[in-house]
Amino acid sequence: MKTLRTMYPDSNLELLMARYQGGDFTAATALIERLSPQLHRFFIVQFASRRDADDLLQETWLRIHKVRHTYRPGEPVLPWFYAIARHVRVDHYRKAIRTTAHEERLEEMSEVAAIPGQSGRADDLEALLAPLPESQREVIEMLKVAGMSLEEVARATSSSVGSVKQKAHRAYEKLREKVSAIGLRKGRSGGMS
Amino acid sequence: MRDREMDEILELAAQARHDVEPALLQRVAGSIKSSMRPVRPLPPTWVLASELILICAAVALAGAARAGFYGIEKMSVLERSLIFPVLGILGWVVAAEFVSEMIPGSRRRIAPGALLGIGSLALLGLFAVLFRDYRTNDFVSAGIVCLMTGLLHAVPTGLVSWWLLRRGFAVNSVAAGLGGGTLAGLAGVTMLELHCANFQALHVLLWHTAVVPGSGAAGASLAWALRFRARSGAPN
Repeated sequence: MKTLRTMYPDSNLELLMARYQGGDFTAATALIERLSPQLHRFFIVQFASRRDADDLLQETWLRIHKVRHTYRPGEPVLPWFYAIARHVRVDHYRKAIRTTAHEERLEEMSEVAAIPGQSGRADDLEALLAPLPESQREVIEMLKVAGMSLEEVARATSSSVGSVKQKAHRAYEKLREKVSAIGLRKGRSGGMS
Repeated sequence: MRDREMDEILELAAQARHDVEPALLQRVAGSIKSSMRPVRPLPPTWVLASELILICAAVALAGAARAGFYGIEKMSVLERSLIFPVLGILGWVVAAEFVSEMIPGSRRRIAPGALLGIGSLALLGLFAVLFRDYRTNDFVSAGIVCLMTGLLHAVPTGLVSWWLLRRGFAVNSVAAGLGGGTLAGLAGVTMLELHCANFQALHVLLWHTAVVPGSGAAGASLAWALRFRARSGAPN
């Protein structure tokens, strides 16, 4: 699988980050181009609309730019980026309490989810992760899309490795149930036709 | 279904290409271009934590110097050799965690709330072992004075610590406030141990130890209020 980690090894990102801190605009642009798709997807997976995700991405980069001195060379890069993105997302949702809309969207997405992961469509992951609680969804996104390690996810979410493991385990249990149920439904409807 | 199969499904779903509009990326790059300049990264955690410890020690010593070192003078060698090293170790651990809270993506060994609980319990245990005078003379009046003195010394410690870490960025400001408040509370307790010569067990157990959770709660509340104010003021 091509995760962010395999496409851009940490050393490259660290190097770019060091140049960015040194005032190199080319390095900043390279980081924006490389990391934005993953960060954008991180927001989409959390049920943000495309437009919201665009806004959140922009806000995240502004925040990153403002606090770029807080990244310390030698530390893992991705947890630093994701911790800030996560903060921006939480801040955004606290500002605009849209619980009802959020729940409606969640139900909607659960209903439309077909057998995920088999069509290769861009919305597959979002549909597959739809029934999971927010905390489990972000852990799975970071582990599977960004290719971060348990330790890095723990850093990004300000929690312990044990807690990340537990969330991933619970998420897998729920996903397994969902995929099995969809498979069973598909099998039955296929048999009847 | 096994974990391996679940992994494959997730990996397949994650492989789908996710593009962001080039115009958006250009907008993002354009918005930071005008303010591009070199920045100096923050120093390592141990440097910042050491500076915080120095601030705590300075405030506690200055407070005791002004009010008198009656407590440490009355203490036995055993009491001195246990209380101050324990306060130092707790201070170091809390300072390191406070620094971690101010730097995104840092390793968190222990949550600030748990640290506050463990720190308070450690002090309670230590004081319960060392102080065996169970009289309660002027329990409330003397206690309030000590509590207020401890908290008053926590305030400058908290403010100076916050100023020292002003270049940091707390992704969870309430947790950072709790960490900073706990550290400031430990400075307050240190001042009390240097100054207060009232060794009645219940006095020390309740009124001295209460400075730590009191200061921690004040730090968290202040951070929450500031965050709330910032959000209310910011346009949606």
